[in-house]
Amino acid sequence: MDKPVITGNTIAIPSDVEHLADVDLFIEGILRGWEVDESRIADIAISVSELVNNAICHGNKSTHDKKVSATIDRKGSLIVISVTDEGAGFSPENIENPIADDNLMKEVGRGIFIVKSLMDSVDFELTPTGSKVTIEKGV
Amino acid sequence: MKLSSKEQAGIVILEPRGKIMGGPDASLLHDKLHECIDGNQNRIIIDLAQVDWMNSTGLGILISSYTTLRNNGGHLKLANVTDKIKSLLTITKLVSVFEAFDSVDEAVASFK
Repeated sequence: MDKPVITGNTIAIPSDVEHLADVDLFIEGILRGWEVDESRIADIAISVSELVNNAICHGNKSTHDKKVSATIDRKGSLIVISVTDEGAGFSPENIENPIADDNLMKEVGRGIFIVKSLMDSVDFELTPTGSKVTIEKGV
Repeated sequence: MKLSSKEQAGIVILEPRGKIMGGPDASLLHDKLHECIDGNQNRIIIDLAQVDWMNSTGLGILISSYTTLRNNGGHLKLANVTDKIKSLLTITKLVSVFEAFDSVDEAVASFK
């Protein structure tokens, strides 16, 4: 895969952070089509950018041939987005608390914490082909 | 993200626009900040008025620059922090780290 591929409500990208903006454009475009308010669009867009960044860098370890996919659905007043990668997965319980005094000035390690703060629910799952994170936000 | 810069009273003011989410845009801001630091311009204000949002990558760049400047006797201050970014700074407790002002002029005046 050399460039993003859009199929229905799913976008798949190569594992390169230069494609973060493509995913954002895709997700925000769909949310605006659903007339979601701008504040919630920003919350969702920030969260998706965190998950896709993690999937590229930590899941797929920036291996260009491995893909990251983001799928967006609307179930009534709930926006549901799943981000999948082809990596070995991780244990969310092992993530350090970024607001602990010792961690406050660290440059990294806030992504999942921010996602949990902005979304109504976050679910981590290991699949036969990689890992999958599903977020939900009421609108 | 796009980035412009100017000087006011000997203080560098960086004006990013758009979203700071990682990838090339984040490198642009990171490189510009460190270019200033390397050039001994160690009083920097980031005007966030035109930034729609940033994620943890953007916060990491702010922390990196804040720490580097502080270690070199300089300061990084923020101006025109939007509600969305203010909310992120609050969630992450970084609101206690960064000095933030309602306008660039107020931020410039704070250096005197």
